[in-house]
Amino acid sequence: MERSFKKEIEALKLGDGEVFHGEGILAVTKALLQSGVSYVGGYQGAPVSHLLDVLVEAEDIIGDLGVHLETCTNEAAAAAMLGASINYPLRGAVTWKSIVGTNVASDALSNLASPGVQGGALIVVGEDYGEGASVIQERSHAFAMKSSIWLLDPRPDLPTIVRLVEKGFELSEASHAPVMMELRIRACHVSGEFVAKDNVRPAHSKLEPIAGPPRFDYGRLAHPPATFVQERLKVEERMPAAQAFIRAQRLNEVFAGEIGEIGIIVQGGLYNSVLRTLARLGLADPFGASRVPVYALNVVYPLVPEEVTAFAAGKRALLVVEEGFPDYIEQQINVILRRADINTRVLGKGCLPQVGEYNSEALLSGFAAFLRETRPAGIDVDAGAGAADRLLGARRAAAAALGELPARPPSFCTGCPERPVFSALKLMQREIGPTHISADIGCHAFGTLAPFSMGNSILGYGMSLASAAAVTPNLQRRAISVMGDGGFWHNGIVTGVASNLFNKGDGVLVVMQNGYTSATGLQFMPSSLASRSGTAPGMDIETTLRALGVKWLRKVRTYNVATMLKTLKEAMRAAESGLKVIIADGECQLARQRRVRAEEAQKLARGERVVRARYGVDDEICTGDHSCIRLSGCPSLTIKPNPDPLRTDPVASVVQSCVGCGLCGEVAHAAVLCPSFYRAETIRNPNRWDRALYRLRRRAIAWLGGAARAA
Amino acid sequence: MSSAARPVTILVAALGGEGGGVLTNWIVEAAGARGLPVQSTSIPGVAQRTGATTYYLEIWPEPWSALGGRRPVLSLVPGLGDIDVVASSELLEAARVIAGGFAAKDRTTVIASTHRIYAISERMSMGDGRADIGHLLKGIEEQARSHILFDMETAAQGANSVINAVMLGAIAGSGRLPIPVAAFEAAIRAEGKAVEANLRGFAAGLAALAQAGAAPHASHKRARPPRPSLAALERAAQETMPAAALDIIVEGLRRLAAYQDLRYARLYLDRLGAVRDADAAGGAGGKLLRETARHLAVRMSFEDVIRVAQAKTDPARLQRIRDELKLRPDEPLAVVDFFKPGIEELCSILPPRLARPLLAAAQRRGWLGTVYWGLEVKSDTVSGFLRLKLLASLRRWRPRSHRYAEEQRQIEAWLALVAAAAPLSTALALEIADCARLIKGYGDTHARGLANYRKIEECVIRPALAGRYAAPLAVDAVAAARTAALADPDGERLEKTLDEIEKRAGRAVAAA
Repeated sequence: MERSFKKEIEALKLGDGEVFHGEGILAVTKALLQSGVSYVGGYQGAPVSHLLDVLVEAEDIIGDLGVHLETCTNEAAAAAMLGASINYPLRGAVTWKSIVGTNVASDALSNLASPGVQGGALIVVGEDYGEGASVIQERSHAFAMKSSIWLLDPRPDLPTIVRLVEKGFELSEASHAPVMMELRIRACHVSGEFVAKDNVRPAHSKLEPIAGPPRFDYGRLAHPPATFVQERLKVEERMPAAQAFIRAQRLNEVFAGEIGEIGIIVQGGLYNSVLRTLARLGLADPFGASRVPVYALNVVYPLVPEEVTAFAAGKRALLVVEEGFPDYIEQQINVILRRADINTRVLGKGCLPQVGEYNSEALLSGFAAFLRETRPAGIDVDAGAGAADRLLGARRAAAAALGELPARPPSFCTGCPERPVFSALKLMQREIGPTHISADIGCHAFGTLAPFSMGNSILGYGMSLASAAAVTPNLQRRAISVMGDGGFWHNGIVTGVASNLFNKGDGVLVVMQNGYTSATGLQFMPSSLASRSGTAPGMDIETTLRALGVKWLRKVRTYNVATMLKTLKEAMRAAESGLKVIIADGECQLARQRRVRAEEAQKLARGERVVRARYGVDDEICTGDHSCIRLSGCPSLTIKPNPDPLRTDPVASVVQSCVGCGLCGEVAHAAVLCPSFYRAETIRNPNRWDRALYRLRRRAIAWLGGAARAA
Repeated sequence: MSSAARPVTILVAALGGEGGGVLTNWIVEAAGARGLPVQSTSIPGVAQRTGATTYYLEIWPEPWSALGGRRPVLSLVPGLGDIDVVASSELLEAARVIAGGFAAKDRTTVIASTHRIYAISERMSMGDGRADIGHLLKGIEEQARSHILFDMETAAQGANSVINAVMLGAIAGSGRLPIPVAAFEAAIRAEGKAVEANLRGFAAGLAALAQAGAAPHASHKRARPPRPSLAALERAAQETMPAAALDIIVEGLRRLAAYQDLRYARLYLDRLGAVRDADAAGGAGGKLLRETARHLAVRMSFEDVIRVAQAKTDPARLQRIRDELKLRPDEPLAVVDFFKPGIEELCSILPPRLARPLLAAAQRRGWLGTVYWGLEVKSDTVSGFLRLKLLASLRRWRPRSHRYAEEQRQIEAWLALVAAAAPLSTALALEIADCARLIKGYGDTHARGLANYRKIEECVIRPALAGRYAAPLAVDAVAAARTAALADPDGERLEKTLDEIEKRAGRAVAAA
C-alpha cells in the first residue's frame, strides 16, 4: 500500500463518547463497524480507496468483530457479495469509484435490487465528479433510479455522514432495498470529528455462523416469473416503505428562513457550498442561519412528495441546486408539484450551469441569476447580485492578467517502469509509421499525455484489447493495445484475451506488469508478489496466457528500451496472424523505492556498503533541443538555465530526485541522442578496496589530464 | 457568543507528491490543539502523480468554547476572491491560483516559493518554452494584498529539510492565521515523523520572512577564465570591437582557443570585422554584432566527437559532478558515459577525400541513421579515460577533417547572408543571424535543424534578399519561420508557416 494507516486504525477502535478525528471516508469505515456489518468488500479507486485500505491493515479489529473482508478483483464481484444479504439477516457494505465502478457492477446490482434484501446492504460510491475527477462525467443517480436503489447524499459534515451510514442500514432493512451512498471527492477527504460509539459485533458472522440456508423460496431469485412480482414490490411496497422511513427519521433537513417567497432545494452534499454562497451575498450567517429557507436532501432518491409539497407551499419560486446532468431531481420536483397542483416556479438548470461541478463561480453566478429572476421582497437583490458580479468580474480580470499558463497534468512517477515502454513505442512509430494505440485505464493512461500523446481510444478498465477487435481487421497495420496487470485481472483476461483467441483475432497486446494496482494507491492484485496475508497469491500472467492458448508471448524488462523496441517491431512485422502478447515487466517504482529506501537506510545505519546510481547531463554537451525529454517526460529530467554565456536555450538537467532507473541512458542509446548523459555511481561506506582503487584511478587520471593540458 | 464574521481561509497549491497533505495536517493539528474549529479538504486523485493539485482549509478564529454549542458551516470549496492565505510550493502554481480568481486585492496574502519546477510543455520545447517569471511575479503581486515570495526550495536544501516545512514556517510567520508560531512547532512534534528535519525547515521558513522579497535570480552563467596565451588577442578585441559586444567576443575567443587553437580564435575575430562594420553602418548599436558573435562562437565550436571527448575529459567536469552529488573529497565516484557514434560521426573526423565516398556508399546501402556502435565508457577508469583522451587529442587533426570543411563552408555562407541583409535592414540581419539557433546537436537533431535552416534560407531569406518582400515583412517572416521550426520535431508548423509566408508574399506582390 502506498501509505500506512497506523494512526487511522487506532481511530477505528474508539468507543462510546470518544471523539474521532479524521477524513470523511474513514468516518464511513468507522460507521460501518458501529453498524454491525458482517462483511465488507470493494474495489479500490479514488476517492474511496482508503475505506478498504484501512481495513486491510486492521485485520485484528475486524477479526475480533468477525467481519469478513474481501478485496475484490472488480466491482462486479464486490456488488455480487451483497447477495449474502438477500437471504440472510447479514449487514454488508461494498465500495468503489463511480461512475465507472457502478457500470461494472450494474449486472449484479440489478439482480440484487430485484429480489431485495433481508439484511441491510449499503453501497458506498465515490462520486468522481468535477475538479480532481479522472473518469467520465456521469451521475450515479441514474443507476439508483433504474434499479430502485435508494440514494443517500449526506451533508458533508462527519456527524451527518456517520448518522446516514447507520440510518442507511436501517432504511435498507425497513424497505428491503439496497441503499447507495454517494460521496463527492472533497467529502471523502474532508477532515472533521464526530462522537464515536462502540463497534458492534454482528449477530451472525464467522464467529457466530448461521446454521444453514433458508427453505427454498423461488421468490428470492431474480428469475422469471418472480421478477414480475419483484418489479411490483419495488414500486408498491419498498418505495412507500422507504419514503415513510425517511420522513419518520427526518433524514432530510429543512432549515427555516424568514423570506417566505422563495426557497432552495439542495443535494445534501452541496449544502455547505450553498450556505457559503448565501453568506457571501449577505443572506446567511456562517452558522447556518439563512434568510432563505433551505431544504437539504440527504436522501436524493426517492424524494418524499409530502416533504416537497410542504416546503413549496406558499412559495413563489424554488431554486433546485443539483449537480450534473440530467436534472433528475428538478424533473421529479416539477412532477410532484404538478401532481399536487402547486404552481410554485421551479428554477435550477438555466440559472445554474447545465453541467460541471458547482464550485464557487457556478453558484455565485447561478444565485445572482435566481435573485434577479425572482426579485423576492425583503432582499436587496441588486446589492446581492452585484456582489456576485464583482467577484466574477475580478476573476475574469485576474485570468486575463496572467494569460494562458502552462498546464501541469499528472505523469508517470520518477523512474516509473511504464515510461520506457512508451519511449519504445514512440521510437517504433518513427521507424514503421503511426500505429493505432488502444489505451486503457491505469497509470499507463498517462501515455496519452505529453510528451507521448499516444492513444486513439479508451473504452474502459481492461477493455483495450476488446476495443481493438474491429480496428486491426480494418487497418493496414496491427493495432497495439496497452493494458495494466490491474486491468488484466479486472476483466481484460476475459473480454480481451479470451475473446480475441476465441475469434482467432490478430493484434498486439502489451501488458504492463508492475505488480500492483498502482494508480489507486498500490493495492495488491492476483499476480502481486505478496498479498494482505503476506504470501503471494500465486497467479501468474504469463502462465495464465499460455494456458489460455497464447502462442506468441515475450516477456521484456521494461527499462531495456532497445529490446522492447526490437520486440515491438517483431510483433508488428510477424507474418503469422494471431494475438501477440508482450509482458512489459518492471515493478512499480513507488513500491520499489519504499522498500529499497528502507533497506538502504538500514544498511547505511549499520555502516554497510551501499552503491547508488544517478544520472546526469553534461550541460556543455547538451544542445538544448530536449529530444531526450520528448522521449521520457521523467519528472527528474528537467531543464535549467543554460550556464553557457553564449547560449540562451535552457539545457537538460537531472535533479536530485533521480532514482537511477537507467531510462536516460537507454533512450540516449536507442534513439541515438546526444552523448551528454552519464551515470554517476557513488559508494556510501566504501570498503578499503573501493577507496584504494579510487585513489589510484584519480591519481592516474589527474596525471593524464595534467599532461594533456600542458601539451 | 461569536463575534467573528467569517472563517480564515487558506488555499494551498502544490504538485502531487510534495507533501501538501502533510502541510495541511500540520495546520489542522495546530488549529485543533488551540480548540479552533478547522476543516481541510483535498482532491488528490491522479494528481498525486506529480500533477498540479490544491488543498483547502478553513479555520474559525474563535475556539469551540466561545461558540456556545454552535457549529460554523465550513466550506469544502474555495471561494472566488475569498482566500486569506494562498500558499504555494512553486511559482507557476501560485500564479494558477491567482488566475483562478481566488485572491482578492484587499484580502489575500500570497506566500509562495519563487523557484520553478517546469511543466512538461516547458521542458519538451525544442527551444525555450519557459513561462516568463517576471510576468508570473507581476501577476501575483498585482492581484494580492501582500506577498511573501522567496526560494523555498533553496531554503529547504540549506536546512537539509523539505519544502512543506519551510512553507509552514512562512505561513506561521505571516501572522495571517489565528495560531501562534509555537503551536505549529507543537503540531510538527505531534505528527511525530522526521521531527528534527521538519523543525529545521520550519525555522528556515520563519527566518526567510525577514529577508523575503522577489530577489532577482542569481546568474547561472559560467564564464571561462582568462588564459595568458590569449592576452594579445583579447587586447586586440578590446581595441577594435565596441563595448556592447565585448564580453561575448572575449568569451568566444576563450572558447575557440580551448576548442581548437589561437589561430582559430583569430579567425573568429577576423570574421566579426565585417559584421562590426555592418552593425555600425546600420546603426544597430552593437546588437547585431553581439548576437552574431554569440552564434558564431557556438557555430565555430561545432559539436563533433572530438569536442565531446574534450568536454568529458575536462578536469573541471568530474569536480562539477562531485559538487552536484555533494560528495566528500574521499568518496569514490564512478562515471559511465553513453556514446552511440554512427557512420557520420566516423566520417566527420576523416579527411574529405575519404569521407565523401564513404558517406555516399553508406547512403546507398541505407547505413546512415541505422548503423551505430553503442558504447558505454567508464570515464573514471584509466582505460576509459585514455580512450576519451585519445579522441580529444584529435583536436590538432580537426582542421583537416570533413566535418570541419563542411562547417566552415556553412558558416561563411550564413555570415554572407547576414552581411548581405545588413544594408537592407539590420533588423533583418539580426533575424538571419538568429537562425543559427536552429543548427545544434548531434545526429538526428543536427540533421533536422540543418534541414529546417536550409528550408528557411531557400524559402524566406534568399527571396527576401532578392527583394521579393519589403524589409518589415521579411523581418516578420524570418522570425515566424524560425519560431515555427522550433514548434514541433516533425516540421508541421514550419510547413504551414512557410505556406502562409508564401501566400502573404504573393498578396504583397499583387498589391504592389
